[in-house]
Amino acid sequence: MAKKTDTPKERLLNRRQLLKGSAAAAVVAGLAPTFFIRNAWAEQAIGNYPVNGSSVVFGFNVPQTGSYADEGADELRAYELAVEHLNNGGGMLETLQPLSLTGAGVLGKKVEFVVGDTQTNPDAARTSARRMVERDKVIMFGGGSSSAVAIAQQYLAQEMGTVFMCGLTHSNDTTGKDRRRYGFRHFFNAYMSGMALGPVLADAYGKDRRAFHLTADYTWGHTQYQSIKQFTEAEGWTTVNNIMTPLGTTDYSQFLTAVLNSDADVLVLNHYGKDMINSLTQAVQFGMRELQVGGKDMQIVVPLYSRLMAKGAGAANIEGVFGSTNWNWTLDDPGSQAFVASFSEKYGFPPSQAAQTCYVQTLMYADACERAGTFYPPEVIKALEGHSFTGAGPGEAFFRGEDHQCFKDILVVQGKGPGESSGEFDLLKIVQQVKREDVTYPVQTFEGDLGPYEPA
Amino acid sequence: MMPSTRTFTFGREVMLMVVFGALVLGMPQWLTWIGGYEALATKVLIWALFALGFDILLGFTAYLSFGHAAFFGTSAYVTGLMLKHVSASVIPAMLAAVTVNLALALLLGALILRRSGIYFSILSLAFAEMLHAAGLSIFAKWTGGDNGLTMDTKPVLLGIPMEGRPVFFLCAVFVILGFAVARQIKRSPMGLMLQAIKENPTRLEYSGVNVMAYKFAAYVISAVYAGVAGSLMVIYEPYVATKFLHWSTSGELVVMSVIGGVNTLLGPMLGAGFMLYFENVVQSVIGEQWKLVLGLIFVCIVIFLPGGFMDLWRRLRALLGRAKSRRDNVPDAPGSIQEAREANYAALANMEEAS
Repeated sequence: MAKKTDTPKERLLNRRQLLKGSAAAAVVAGLAPTFFIRNAWAEQAIGNYPVNGSSVVFGFNVPQTGSYADEGADELRAYELAVEHLNNGGGMLETLQPLSLTGAGVLGKKVEFVVGDTQTNPDAARTSARRMVERDKVIMFGGGSSSAVAIAQQYLAQEMGTVFMCGLTHSNDTTGKDRRRYGFRHFFNAYMSGMALGPVLADAYGKDRRAFHLTADYTWGHTQYQSIKQFTEAEGWTTVNNIMTPLGTTDYSQFLTAVLNSDADVLVLNHYGKDMINSLTQAVQFGMRELQVGGKDMQIVVPLYSRLMAKGAGAANIEGVFGSTNWNWTLDDPGSQAFVASFSEKYGFPPSQAAQTCYVQTLMYADACERAGTFYPPEVIKALEGHSFTGAGPGEAFFRGEDHQCFKDILVVQGKGPGESSGEFDLLKIVQQVKREDVTYPVQTFEGDLGPYEPA
Repeated sequence: MMPSTRTFTFGREVMLMVVFGALVLGMPQWLTWIGGYEALATKVLIWALFALGFDILLGFTAYLSFGHAAFFGTSAYVTGLMLKHVSASVIPAMLAAVTVNLALALLLGALILRRSGIYFSILSLAFAEMLHAAGLSIFAKWTGGDNGLTMDTKPVLLGIPMEGRPVFFLCAVFVILGFAVARQIKRSPMGLMLQAIKENPTRLEYSGVNVMAYKFAAYVISAVYAGVAGSLMVIYEPYVATKFLHWSTSGELVVMSVIGGVNTLLGPMLGAGFMLYFENVVQSVIGEQWKLVLGLIFVCIVIFLPGGFMDLWRRLRALLGRAKSRRDNVPDAPGSIQEAREANYAALANMEEAS
């Protein structure tokens, strides 16, 4: 027992008692693990394979909060629709070729899903994905906006042995230096944007243009700036300058002043979401669209376009502005039409490109399971690698096995002015449907290593 | 003045540590009963350690650092780089991380501890933000910039791969140790000095105490806790997000401490557990409105429970008549004031009746 010390009213610890206590604690700490650890590593399966029971769970990890929450909400709508179609048929299940899906679940199991919030933040996305894999036992997960989030989740997917279908991610790194065996991207990338836009821009604006770039300062901005620079310079353009702007900047006046003080006659905005809306609107307020530099009309280019952004910037500001996009709801191929019809019927408005890419990749994953005849991840991955399919958009699409990038036709678009637009969703005019062959690049363009089929 | 009205006795201390240890070690079990999962338990422990160290600074001395992410993040990056480029072994990585952190704490402490109150908070925030900006720009080659530091390494401790349970136990050991050390600091003469800094640093200085040395010690100790937590974070998940250096990490830490109960040691850990549980489990039930609900809960806690969760515990005890209600975040014991006031009223009433 504790003995009295000199301190009045206090019975303090002395060293011997502390040692005894520590020893006791150490014994408890040493024994406890053996109790809890029992059957922790009994099963040598990969991820959540094998799937037991009559249903299989997919995880959809989308930004429900943060700067890309609008995209996330649309992705989630698409995912719900995809699950509905997987279980009951309909939508692109009627147009995809080849197709092993029957519209009665996947491999005879009903598809269920759980949802998580990436908060547009890599760390939160990984925690959320971990919850899905560990607690909710998902066999695959997908979604997300922002390349940093996608890359962080891809590494986690490889670690956990659970296939990840990247959502909206446009950085070259996702299937470039950070490509992973367990990650697949259906969306296009900045390099393809450059290949598609370069010739169109040179055609429209001439070959002796001087471009000034404003670039969002993170992985996607960097790779897009590199790609657009490379492909416009190949057409004879000169890159005057580039300024990296912090992500989430609201006031671009200092950067735009630098543009005005240069002799540039084209402004390239490597911005996305709210950044693009702010920088474009402010550039218009600076009078850049009426400006003449060296006898040429000043032009603005937004390499990665989306309908949600066009809507935010307003029809008057985007009129005639060139950009590229993965997909647009006005496409008239049967796959796009089937998807737009069922999406509009369910939600009352047409889907965005984020919705389309998430919808398609969920079906592609499910179809790969059917074709492989198993949920065993290495077999599913092999079934997806090198797979070609039609009916998910214009032309034939192809998942390249060496880097898991999907190649397909992409669109060069131009903003529609208030006069041309037929409604609040009709904001982009398709200038050119760039053929798959013209945006396919050799796999050696970017260095990277996919890693093993079976995670160590 | 006594920092705490309850004395430390051997029996109590052992009881407390045993109960605490059992709760921590049993976490993967009981957390799954309430919808959690094992990896969450590990993450909760890491944040609990971070918050515990923070309480040594904020709770004891009332120095509100808004830049503790600097220590957490720096340590995470050092650990990550060591694991990726030097060796997958945990021990050198952690040692390097804590050493770098110690140096950083000494440097930052010397620069910013000369100020107090809001100036200290702003300075700590400024330095942390500088590190964050540097991590994204001049160090981007090493930190991986906005992509975060990705790696394929699987950390190993003495031949045991650090995944699942082993990494949980590693964190549990640090949390239990950290808690025991923090309790000892609290009851030591140094703890008393730190509490005195909160009360009146000028007076302490006049009595010949080297206030700077004491607060420096508290600052460095809390930085080491943050460093160990940051290091464990990367061992638990071999990935470093730039968010670890971002001010929002410091902000979350402050919120955890406040909702848990500052200067209670247990409170901030509870706060950390609550925040992570809400963010990962309750969120999946509520859906996209979860941040709104979380905000409402904060507001309610600040208004109705200014002493955080630990205040609730104290109030419950008071209700049951087992102990007098104490609130550590209020310098003077309100109970005594209340009693004095009541005595005054009674005396006044008597006088009125008499007249």
